[in-house]
Amino acid sequence: MDKRLHKIALIEVVVLLVLWQLLAMLQWIPEYLSSPAVIGKELLAMVMSGDLFSNAAASLYRSLLGFLLVAVVGIVLGIAAGYFKPIGVFFTPIVDVLNPVPKIALLPILMVWFGISDTTRVLLIFLTAFFPCFIATQDGVHGVKQVYVWAAQNMGASRIQILWKIILPAALPKIFDGLRVSLGLTFVMLFSSEMIGSSNGLGLGFMILTADMAGRTDLMFVSIFVIALLGFLFDRILLAVRARLLWWSENRG
Amino acid sequence: MSTQTPAIDIEKLRKVYTRGKEEVTAIQEISLQIPEGKFVSIVGPSGCGKSTFLHIVGGFIPKSTGTVRIRGKEVDKPGPDRGMMFQESALFPWKNVYDNVAWGLEVQGVEKAKRDEIVEHYLKLVHLWDFRNNLPSELSGGMKQRISLARVLAFNPDVLLMDEPFGALDAQTREKMQVELQRIWQESNKSVMFVTHDIDEAVFLSDIVVVFSGRPAVIKEIIEIDFARPRQLDVHKTQEFMDIRNHIWDLLHQEHSKSGEDEF
Ligand SMILES: Nc1ncnc2c1ncn2[C@@H]1O[C@H](COP(=O)(O)OP(=O)(O)O)[C@@H](O)[C@H]1O
Ligand SMILES: [Mg+2]
Repeated sequence: MDKRLHKIALIEVVVLLVLWQLLAMLQWIPEYLSSPAVIGKELLAMVMSGDLFSNAAASLYRSLLGFLLVAVVGIVLGIAAGYFKPIGVFFTPIVDVLNPVPKIALLPILMVWFGISDTTRVLLIFLTAFFPCFIATQDGVHGVKQVYVWAAQNMGASRIQILWKIILPAALPKIFDGLRVSLGLTFVMLFSSEMIGSSNGLGLGFMILTADMAGRTDLMFVSIFVIALLGFLFDRILLAVRARLLWWSENRG
Repeated sequence: MSTQTPAIDIEKLRKVYTRGKEEVTAIQEISLQIPEGKFVSIVGPSGCGKSTFLHIVGGFIPKSTGTVRIRGKEVDKPGPDRGMMFQESALFPWKNVYDNVAWGLEVQGVEKAKRDEIVEHYLKLVHLWDFRNNLPSELSGGMKQRISLARVLAFNPDVLLMDEPFGALDAQTREKMQVELQRIWQESNKSVMFVTHDIDEAVFLSDIVVVFSGRPAVIKEIIEIDFARPRQLDVHKTQEFMDIRNHIWDLLHQEHSKSGEDEF
């Protein structure tokens, strides 16, 4: 991105923080809205004690495991559904019906089956983030220009060679669009999936719940800040991977 | 010699597209025999079924009825015996120029050293060896078409099928490409089936010009052209060239006024 835009974004964040701090110091905003200074102090304390690290690690493990499952299952099934017509026909009604359902509504069922466990949490994240990845991948395969496939057939390429060497790279830009939406959703679901409570007492989402019950909004903000930071960080990592794999593409981001 | 198997032998070919309940007859019925090593152009009004015809010969889409034989062998699927250059660029944008040409050879199991030799030969033939490391998106339209030509020639087909390959180029680049294509074709001794809507291009390049009627396509006339080779661009100025061109123009013009189905 443009260096100037980076600068503008940075200035924007600093101005907002300063404004927030000022309003808090002048007591123009209620105390439960806390202030950057207080939040920063708590953040630092949690970093020093190691609490932040263990909570973030517990949450990241769930989110990234969910994302990994989404990436593997979503891309494999999406390609299969896009390339092999009967598989696509099979998946269409299932996806069309399940896609608009808020997956959190399935939480009670998951809890009956898997209890308050990481399995429940990861499955909830998976179910939410799966559809954008699957749909984008299938679309990506459908959108591959017919002449690429014809040209490959002309050279005598087999169906498998066409799948790996033509369809996959040609659909990759679309696949990454889907992955990016899915990654964002896994961080959104990080909080919801920990609402069910935590067996080991760890997790950034769980932290928000306990802070809320203790009336500690400053701790809540710490947690929200860390979730946002991690989400941003992993989005950047995904973009970097995409830029590497799609070096040939005009819209590699 | 007249009993020799034709390079391309098309018998009573017919194509009807079905879109839902609707049926579109693209090709009424076409029979055509092309001897080995000839340069054949197909001209006809836009939408008459030229691409359809070439796609069937290439084996990319199914025919309705009839037979297509290449060197006596019936075809019904794509294969490297027929090299196709498509109307839109079919270069793989994720491979550089070199790999675009090399991939087909790799697929066919040509070993690396031999592959390198072939790729170098054909990229030099189209004067684009220096661009081997570039991506297709970094090349001009004319360069892309030359790479496409090199890519098709590299797997050494018996027949070249070319669907308006120079259609998107400006007039000057197009003339250069025509001269270059003639040179490459003369060195290769392949049969070429070349679709164009440009009458001058067809007359300049061809031994035989096949004029299609409007859709559904039938053959209106087959015209043999025997200017000496290699032809220079100034052949355009000869009376004979202009007579042939005017004759084809008349054929197509009757077609336009009859069908009343213009693009405009
Ligand atoms: N896949 C298709 N389904 C239905 N109709 C088609 C299809 N492809 C081409 N056609 C129709 O067949 C006719 C011939 O098309 P085409 O072969 O592309 O013509 P040309 O190459 O001569 O311009 C046109 O009327 C076109 O609309
Ligand atoms: Mg066409």
